[in-house]
Amino acid sequence: MPSPASRSPPLLLLVPFLLLLLFSAASAWKKDEFRNCNQTPFCKRARGRKAHSVPSLSTADISISDGAVVARLLPSQPLRQATDGDDPESDTVPPRPLLLRISVYQGGVLRLHIDEDASAPRRRFQVPDVLLPDLDDRRLWLSRLSSPAAGSSSFYLAEGFEAVLVHDPFQIQVRRKGSGEPVLSFNSHGLFDFEQLRAKKNDDEDWEERFRGHTDTRPHGPQSISFDISFHGADFVYGIPEHASTSLALRPTSGPGVEFSEPYRLFNLDVFEYLDDSPFGLYGSIPFMLSHGARSSSGFFWLNAAEMQIDVLGPGWDDPAAPAKDRIDTVWMSEAGVVDAFFFVGHEPKDVLRQYTGITGTPAMPQEFAVAYHQCRWNYRDEEDVAAVDAGFDEHDIPYDVLWLDIEHTDGKRYFTWDRVLFPNPQEMQGKLAAKGRHMVTIVDPHIKRDDSFYIHKEASERGYYVKDASGKDFDGWCWPGSSSYLDVLNPEIREWWAEKFSFENYVGSTPSLYIWNDMNEPSVFNGPEISMPRDAIHFGDVEHRELHNAYGYYFHMATSNGLLKRGNGKDRPFVLSRAFFAGSQRYGAVWTGDNTADWDHLRASVPMILTLGLTGMTFSGADVGGFFGNPEPELLVRWYQLGAYYPFFRAHAHQDTKRREPWLFGERNTALIREAVHVRYSLLPYYYTLFREASVSGIPVMRPLWLEFPADKETYNNGEAFMVGPSLLVQGIYEERQKSVSVYLPAGQSWYNLRNGVSYAGGVSHKLEVSEDSIPTFQRAGTIIPRKDRFRRSSTQMVNDPYTLVIALNGSFAAEGELYVDDGKTYDFEQGAYIHRRFIFADLKLTSVNIHPANLGGKFPSDCVIERIVLLGLPSGAKKAVIEPGNREANVELGPLTLRGGSSPDAITVRKPNVHIADDWTLRIL
Amino acid sequence: MGAFLRISLTISCLSLFWISASASIPSRESLGIAPQDLSYYKSDVIKCKDGSKKFTKEQLNDEFCDCPDGTDEPGTSACPQGKFYCPNAGHIPLTVFSSRVNDGICDCCDGSDEYNGNVNCPNTCWEAGKVAREKLQKKIATFQMGVTVRRQEVEKAKQAFAQDKAELSKLKSEEKILKEHVQKLKEQKERIEKAEEEERKKREEEQRKKREAERKANEAKKAFEESSHDNSDHASEILSELPNQDAMEDHHDSAIEEKSDYTAETEILDSWAVGKVANDHDDTIAKSGDETDDTSEESSFSHVEKQHLVGDQEGTMPEANTGDYTRSKEAPSSHVVEEGQVSDNTEGLSREELGRLVASRWTGENAAEEEDGVNTVKEERHEHDENIPEENHDGYNSDSDEDHNFDDDDLEDDPDMEFGDHGEPAGTYSYNGDDKTDYSDLTASGSLSWLDKIQQTVSNVLQAINIFKSPVNISEADAVRKNYDDSSSKLSKIQSRISSLNEKLKHDFGKDKEFYSFYDHCFESKQNKYVYKVCPFKKASQVEGHSTTQLGYWDKFEESYRVMLFSNGDRCWNGPDRSLKVRLRCGLKDELLDVDEPSRCEYAAILSTPVLCVEEKLKELQEKLKDANANRPSVNDEL
Repeated sequence: MPSPASRSPPLLLLVPFLLLLLFSAASAWKKDEFRNCNQTPFCKRARGRKAHSVPSLSTADISISDGAVVARLLPSQPLRQATDGDDPESDTVPPRPLLLRISVYQGGVLRLHIDEDASAPRRRFQVPDVLLPDLDDRRLWLSRLSSPAAGSSSFYLAEGFEAVLVHDPFQIQVRRKGSGEPVLSFNSHGLFDFEQLRAKKNDDEDWEERFRGHTDTRPHGPQSISFDISFHGADFVYGIPEHASTSLALRPTSGPGVEFSEPYRLFNLDVFEYLDDSPFGLYGSIPFMLSHGARSSSGFFWLNAAEMQIDVLGPGWDDPAAPAKDRIDTVWMSEAGVVDAFFFVGHEPKDVLRQYTGITGTPAMPQEFAVAYHQCRWNYRDEEDVAAVDAGFDEHDIPYDVLWLDIEHTDGKRYFTWDRVLFPNPQEMQGKLAAKGRHMVTIVDPHIKRDDSFYIHKEASERGYYVKDASGKDFDGWCWPGSSSYLDVLNPEIREWWAEKFSFENYVGSTPSLYIWNDMNEPSVFNGPEISMPRDAIHFGDVEHRELHNAYGYYFHMATSNGLLKRGNGKDRPFVLSRAFFAGSQRYGAVWTGDNTADWDHLRASVPMILTLGLTGMTFSGADVGGFFGNPEPELLVRWYQLGAYYPFFRAHAHQDTKRREPWLFGERNTALIREAVHVRYSLLPYYYTLFREASVSGIPVMRPLWLEFPADKETYNNGEAFMVGPSLLVQGIYEERQKSVSVYLPAGQSWYNLRNGVSYAGGVSHKLEVSEDSIPTFQRAGTIIPRKDRFRRSSTQMVNDPYTLVIALNGSFAAEGELYVDDGKTYDFEQGAYIHRRFIFADLKLTSVNIHPANLGGKFPSDCVIERIVLLGLPSGAKKAVIEPGNREANVELGPLTLRGGSSPDAITVRKPNVHIADDWTLRIL
Repeated sequence: MGAFLRISLTISCLSLFWISASASIPSRESLGIAPQDLSYYKSDVIKCKDGSKKFTKEQLNDEFCDCPDGTDEPGTSACPQGKFYCPNAGHIPLTVFSSRVNDGICDCCDGSDEYNGNVNCPNTCWEAGKVAREKLQKKIATFQMGVTVRRQEVEKAKQAFAQDKAELSKLKSEEKILKEHVQKLKEQKERIEKAEEEERKKREEEQRKKREAERKANEAKKAFEESSHDNSDHASEILSELPNQDAMEDHHDSAIEEKSDYTAETEILDSWAVGKVANDHDDTIAKSGDETDDTSEESSFSHVEKQHLVGDQEGTMPEANTGDYTRSKEAPSSHVVEEGQVSDNTEGLSREELGRLVASRWTGENAAEEEDGVNTVKEERHEHDENIPEENHDGYNSDSDEDHNFDDDDLEDDPDMEFGDHGEPAGTYSYNGDDKTDYSDLTASGSLSWLDKIQQTVSNVLQAINIFKSPVNISEADAVRKNYDDSSSKLSKIQSRISSLNEKLKHDFGKDKEFYSFYDHCFESKQNKYVYKVCPFKKASQVEGHSTTQLGYWDKFEESYRVMLFSNGDRCWNGPDRSLKVRLRCGLKDELLDVDEPSRCEYAAILSTPVLCVEEKLKELQEKLKDANANRPSVNDEL
């Protein structure tokens, strides 16, 4: 027998290998599959720099041209030696000048554009089709530069704001006129660096990058851009989705007191079992950051679709001895592209959102059914399963509007096809749902199965519609169908072609009640670097994938949405849910937060994630109710329904390995609790729909952080546990198992009515409340009116003619206001004025319905709907009756339940059957 | 319609009994109210049923919800918790949620739920009622026959049960007798063997002495012949033995060395062994017994690792890992290795392998599997009957199922359901488990029972042999041995039969022992490429070609003998242990009709059997038919 000693070496070698293996099996998130900043050369370089360590640039030839400020950027000290010693790729050859152009748009938006001049070896990519096409029409024509001080030029930005261009070192500042108080500044810490394109110096210079067996040929070498942005007067910064976090405000990623952290990464990735709290990038990217403080709100947006890394620097990062107050510094780094950046100056946070959505677009107005409840699972297996689930909802009197089919409904993951065994009669199946006013959604992903008998593949490959790999062949990656290619949706022609595929004629088995789900559009490539497409893949116009990666899903979403629009001859509003997104995706549909997990922390993280999406334009968003991976305990599932009922996009979804979790599978009590949660959403549909209208006009999200409504209340600035639905409703989630009580902060300025017990609570205080299993705490803000529909139907479709309930929460002066928006819920006729828009004003014991439909628009939406009940909270007792004008009709006033659902609703003063029409002007006096 | 309503108000007293063929709209005061409930609404001030408040007659069905429980709005949609009663003349009355009232969808076959004129619901009660009654009649016919079959079956089962019981007690007494005989024979045999052994030793001793003598004689002769030679032969003999001795010492040393090394490694492994428990849990337990003295060649890394794990399992496993522990326990260790490769060693993989591996995280499929892994899943499913989950439900029993929606397809537990959509039932057969042994010789009857025969032979043998006779008579000894072998094998057969009877009889076979015959039966159903085998009281499996997946082992009856539960089957990757629920229903033959997987790795099947054709249910059905006929509309309905 050989001595064991002779075996030891291989054994010892084996141990660490197995060690790794075991730990990676234990933690599902495969951290080492994704690059961190240190493994990403441009990030590592930029992150290593200290303030003012980059060779500075100065402006030359500043002038006004074509109504914009233009200048050239040159090194401050000609031929100065690069001091950036840690930068192996820095070039000592004097750089060519950069071209700077600053333009100003209506509403307080400044745009900064910096690119190389025409002598560059290659044109750098500028992301097309994201900015609104009419943006140019809203540009202000600058005519004059002033010189407030030596070495700087200033110009008008907006009422009360001006912009200052500091010449050397080059710096831009947006500030308040008069006080000179800064709002935003660019390069005030001298971290602006622009790696210009150049030819390879010699052949042994290695531009390739390798990561886990993948090689990025990087044929054009390093071309990154980085700079610092300071938000003045800011207590917190927010935005730049998508990251999973339990904090609403962005935590510092660098600086004193910050333990090691990665920067926030913006790189669209399909992350298996993502963590609930991490700065790593997820499915979508919106490079838009907002700041808010007691004195100021501002925003910054960098239109760039390459990988981006953003550091939020903790106070004292530049000078630990003198940490800056009221200012948050950030560093933005991107692998490629140009500087095309927008500065938004506020004043109020809602102004910043209006400014941002003013350039990237407001959210599309959804169809009404899409605002209701969606039932999804990977997978509803066959037509019988669909019928059984549909029947289950009816049997348990739980409304739902949309049933979803995941990838298994297709014939071998060939999208636009049906598994003919499982779904032999798709049209009939959809017809049965449609007969109950319900809709269906099928999944269509961007990877196309490489199968010559599949017509999509055949056409796409013949026409050369696929993304090419670095060698010029059709890129071939692995996804659900196996070997797949990816449509080059950057090309408008290909998008048009794709859109045609959704016609009823082309999409065999589709019907008008069928809508679409785009998944995997990061794009997800199972065998690609970081489960995505190689960066050196080639798109239309010789654009490298690295340059547009973050917008790939956006173009796919756009093409699909346009397909549905075409399908309905431009009359039917599309519904397309996408997983990947970019700035502007709000114009094309909804998104959700991807493959979350059935645990309490993911429930908690869903709120900051959705709030952040709302702040960055994507208000139509939600998280999978119940959690995608894993099996939720019934209590978690119930809590998730109770919270999810307030998400703008309300859908339950589950992984195929999980146990069935249709709402009625957890015993009578839980079924009742879930039914109640869903009913809450259905009763609030008129309110939600009105909020979606507001979002589509102003960009203000449906689900809002408290500080958006209470910008002066500092207590609210980092509250990610509670949120506002519109201006009137505050919701506090319950995120712990068997939680007995919860502390709820109610913002200052108004009192609040607990919608469960009708009790009024003071604002500006944290209240410790008992938690019951039947609901999560919700409050109506005093001074608001919420329209509801309290009759429950199978789906929202049957609620169209149902009467309304108004819930009026009176403030200290017995006044309240609220709005109701109604249209056909389906078409674009509202654009021609076919809608009802009322403002309800209660004052001096008189409720008035005021028409706020602009008279000049014309159009009319007919409705026979009446208000069957008015509930008044906070009215002193003694009211006897109500008198309605015109007509001098009387209605009874009595005590009635605050809600008709559940057994134990408190009574409140109720006007019984006023039966006034929502389309009409009227007043109702309480006597 | 409004006018109509007003008219019917004027004749409200009549309308209680007046039923119209088409849109039969009762008065506002009786709209949506079940006849047996009408008296509740008689008074001028009516209480909400939940006692919360009162309302006036004017408030009844006035489209405004006064009672949160819906008492005041039985005929409108105003109360979310209300219920609406449709008379459904010509068919069976139905109670629907009041959310169905005037929602534009026809729910009651008489159309009474849609009276606001937005939609015209034709009265389909007569046709539907006819169909339903026919179905009901058919079902009753099946039950009637089934009840007879069941009676016979129960009789048979009782007999078989009694027989088995009797056999058991008989076997037990036989076992006792036989045990004694075997004991005697054993003693006899041992004595013989002892004697033989002594004889053998004696013989050997003699032979040894004889050889010794010969050797000595030879040596003396050799020494004399080769006295000038080296003892070279002898020397080389010694030399050749030397290495062996070295090896012995080496072995000894290395054992010590190994031991110390081993401890060191144990410490190294300490930090991660916990994680490893996951994969090798089963192995560990299996091997823990023989590890300490395992010094063989196989004493390699894995041995050390496993041994260490035993210790860990005894109580030091940190909490934090228990989640993963259960989770990866199910995963074959090979899979974990694959996963590990993904995160650690993907560079060696082809692009396709990598793609499959990553995909498998979501799907849980073996990455090495062919592309049609997806199809496997697909084919597992098949068209299942939507009625299955509702088996218990009886849509027409409006007393107990008020909530239930009226639905024409609802006669779900119709035993004559067409089987066209289902996999073919491949029939039943008797159970052929692994433990099946041939007991025919135990039960064979002849003029002389086998036990008597044995008894006779044994006493013959015992008498015939003189054990003290030496040398032992070989043929006699053989006879003893043979007898012993025969008897003890017989005994073990009896014992195994006893234990299998005990095993059988311990089960719960139902109130009338009606499931007794199921014990030795299996039911099969072929669906696509799978054959499902259900062996009650034993196990259920899914067979595909040569591979068998256990769907579960017998657990119990549920829902008062209407469901057979098999649980703890093969574990699913990333899922639960497989399990199967077999729902039983009345049918004239034993047939496994349908196997489905409604939830991941949780299977469901239907077994039709006369055993479920119980008389009470038959009476219930007959009662129902009577009601249905009684509810037949007057003559004008048939016009």
